[in-house]
Amino acid sequence: MASLTNESLTRTTSTRTPASDATTSVDQYSYDDSIVRSFLTATVLWGLVAMLVGLTVAVLLVLPKVFEPLGWMSQLLSFGRLRPLHTNAAIFAFGGNGIFAAVYYSTQRLCKARMWSDKLSWLHFWGWQGIIASAAITLPLGITQSKEYAELEWPIDIAIAIVWLGFFGGNFLMTLIHRRERHLYVALWFYIATIVTVAVLHVFNNLVVPIGLGKSYPIYAGVQDAFMQWWYGHNAVAFFLTTPFLGLMYYFLPKAAERPVFSYKLSIIHFWSLVFIYIWAGPHHLHYSALPEWACSLGMLFSLMLWMPSWGGMINGLLTLRGAWHKVSSDPVLKFFVVGITFYGMATFEGPMLSIKSINGLSHYTDWTIAHVHSGALGWNGMMIFGMTYWLLPRLYQTPLWSKKMAEWHLWIATIGILLYIVPIYVAGLTQGLMWRAMDESGRLTYPEFIEAVQASIPLWWTRILGGGLYFSGIVMLVVNHVMTWASRPIAYEVPVYSARRLAPLPSTVTELDTPEPATVLAKAPVLNFAKRLDVFSQMTWHRRWERLPLRFTVLVVIAVVAASLFEIIPTFLIRSNIPTIASVKPYTPLELAGRDIYVSEGCYNCHSQMIRPFVAETKRYGEYSKPGEFIYDRPFQWGSRRIGPDLAREGGKQSSLWHWLHFVNPQQVVTGSVMPSYHHLLETSLDFKKITDRVHAAHLLGAPYDRELTEAPEMAQKQAEEIAAQIVSQGGPMMRTIDNGESLKTMHSQAIALIAYLQRIGTDIFKPADAVPNAPAIVSPSGLTASSTAKLDKEAANAQ
Amino acid sequence: MLNDLIRAIDYSDLAEIALVLFCVAFGLMCYATIRLTSRAANRFASIPLHDTPQDPRDDE
Repeated sequence: MASLTNESLTRTTSTRTPASDATTSVDQYSYDDSIVRSFLTATVLWGLVAMLVGLTVAVLLVLPKVFEPLGWMSQLLSFGRLRPLHTNAAIFAFGGNGIFAAVYYSTQRLCKARMWSDKLSWLHFWGWQGIIASAAITLPLGITQSKEYAELEWPIDIAIAIVWLGFFGGNFLMTLIHRRERHLYVALWFYIATIVTVAVLHVFNNLVVPIGLGKSYPIYAGVQDAFMQWWYGHNAVAFFLTTPFLGLMYYFLPKAAERPVFSYKLSIIHFWSLVFIYIWAGPHHLHYSALPEWACSLGMLFSLMLWMPSWGGMINGLLTLRGAWHKVSSDPVLKFFVVGITFYGMATFEGPMLSIKSINGLSHYTDWTIAHVHSGALGWNGMMIFGMTYWLLPRLYQTPLWSKKMAEWHLWIATIGILLYIVPIYVAGLTQGLMWRAMDESGRLTYPEFIEAVQASIPLWWTRILGGGLYFSGIVMLVVNHVMTWASRPIAYEVPVYSARRLAPLPSTVTELDTPEPATVLAKAPVLNFAKRLDVFSQMTWHRRWERLPLRFTVLVVIAVVAASLFEIIPTFLIRSNIPTIASVKPYTPLELAGRDIYVSEGCYNCHSQMIRPFVAETKRYGEYSKPGEFIYDRPFQWGSRRIGPDLAREGGKQSSLWHWLHFVNPQQVVTGSVMPSYHHLLETSLDFKKITDRVHAAHLLGAPYDRELTEAPEMAQKQAEEIAAQIVSQGGPMMRTIDNGESLKTMHSQAIALIAYLQRIGTDIFKPADAVPNAPAIVSPSGLTASSTAKLDKEAANAQ
Repeated sequence: MLNDLIRAIDYSDLAEIALVLFCVAFGLMCYATIRLTSRAANRFASIPLHDTPQDPRDDE
């Protein structure tokens, strides 16, 4: 092994020999650690940002007016706009850069090859940072698709596809093809699954019709949109926050412990089980919603099956430390890994448990889910990234870690921080779930006001801030350690140059691969040739050889993922023609369409669901439970996943228009103890009526049966706005409002009027007479169930309570 | 007619078909893993421990 002190020099000494003499020639190569250093630095910095924004949104829940002194800027910093920024920063900026650091470091060493293209590596790095910066700008501006973890609008989505698949995926795959290690180590399998599956999920969940750079409508509506979103959402957790981190575990844990993984066979089973099972589990996010019953049952069953591989992986990780526990006591890196893997076990036990319908009936929409995801994200993803970072810092900067003691402090503060975060939030979740469903002996809701559960949660939300603060301070320690270690780096990094012969080329066909066939013990036995061939087949050497072929292996993973997806997606889309249209459900008016876009832009779905489950307590609190036919014009769907505020699926007509107006000005004025921020800017911003035409045309293109609206949308919207404004004035509201620059804005011209129009429409169509369509079918429940089936569903839901 | 056909399909069968497919694939994968020799498994498991290729590299 030679050593150079300049990376550019190393590159010039690296040679690629022609394939013809590949078996005899020797290559010299070095690993590109500069890209790993960059991704690792980005990981730590974005981790700081993500946790800071998380801490901010946690504060906003208990102090909703904290940013009001900032004036117009407060609208950019509302909970609804910052919460997606927090989740995107935590998942894609902190988690994403951490994944890339792990992949670039380990892939080169597992393949015994430098990344195929340094240029692609750097395009990937800067492209990804650009995407994150775009998210940080657009989300606070209210530019969002409103799909959780897929909020970014279409131009950024295209950039993600190019950077992920073109730069990252292409470079990774070419590195595998040019590797010098015959066997693809199992960590690389996890990386392959990550790259191909995330690409598939991302593309199909983001198919939209754009009407401008910052606005689009999904091609899916209602039930289909919800299904696609949670097919994506769940598998984003699976293939962005699980599989790459398992790859990380299977590489960095053996490195840090200096011993091989406990069971390589178990790691293979772990991999294929996750690939086969995870993709089916998405529908468990939509239990008791308008999604077909069979899809939910399938999702629950496969979620329960996930227990096996997940715990197999956890046990494999922990047992890798067999005989090395004395190292754990002195090495903070191994401690981070032990805590991380333990949280993996906890989170993957809890996830399947939450998919059980009766438990989900209690936990869904409550803070329980929030505690669950933070147990996984802070405990599993965070701790694994921290462990990897502390292991990499001295190696990448070629100097000892600045402070091992500070790393130890980070470990304990982060661990205590996680516990202080999740325990009160579990309690809050259970409290909310139980209060929402509690009924007295006369069958009335014990806590009929939603705000009662909110008030009960506030002390627990304060405790969460303490836990989050501790976790954040741990990351500050990491930043300090990182910077100080970097500061003591050598003037020039030493770049080892390795020598190795290239791999002999593999045959290109399966036939050639199986030649010569492995020997069979039945060669001389008096048995049929079929038995001999079966014996050869059963030795599975063909499988082993397939594992060596990255392209073929990638295709196998794609088949597993796509086949599982199609089994759920195809029927769900065919049901589109099976969902009997509710005759009285009509497309939104132009003004309501504009109001709905404001609802989406403000991120109202972050706090309000629009899905009443068929539970007695829910129907008593909110009204008739939701039907699939009600959502056929909802692009994007707005079912939400959490209720910080009450469900809005039957909000239309519940309150007067003036009530909504006053609620936007100051929510606490009409709901004492509300944690909703003021949306007075909606009252002071004029609505662009002309732009409504584009929205109407897009909705029409996607199937909304508009007629006069196509040519007269602005006029129709103005007329409806006048009517609503007149209602507000007649109820005692203002005719106009003075805005900051001293000018006046008529009530009917404000954005608030459009939003009120939308809110007053939600969930009302179902009660209107079906006069427009002759012989209209009766209202149907999920999957087109009959009245008796609906009664059965009601009974099941009642039993679940 | 196509509409009638689509309406007539019982999609709940897909759940059972999916489960059978999964069981077949899972069983095959488990069998392939069990057939992996201990020598090969140990060699594969040790790959991350070395930053340079360990010969022989074509060992099963």
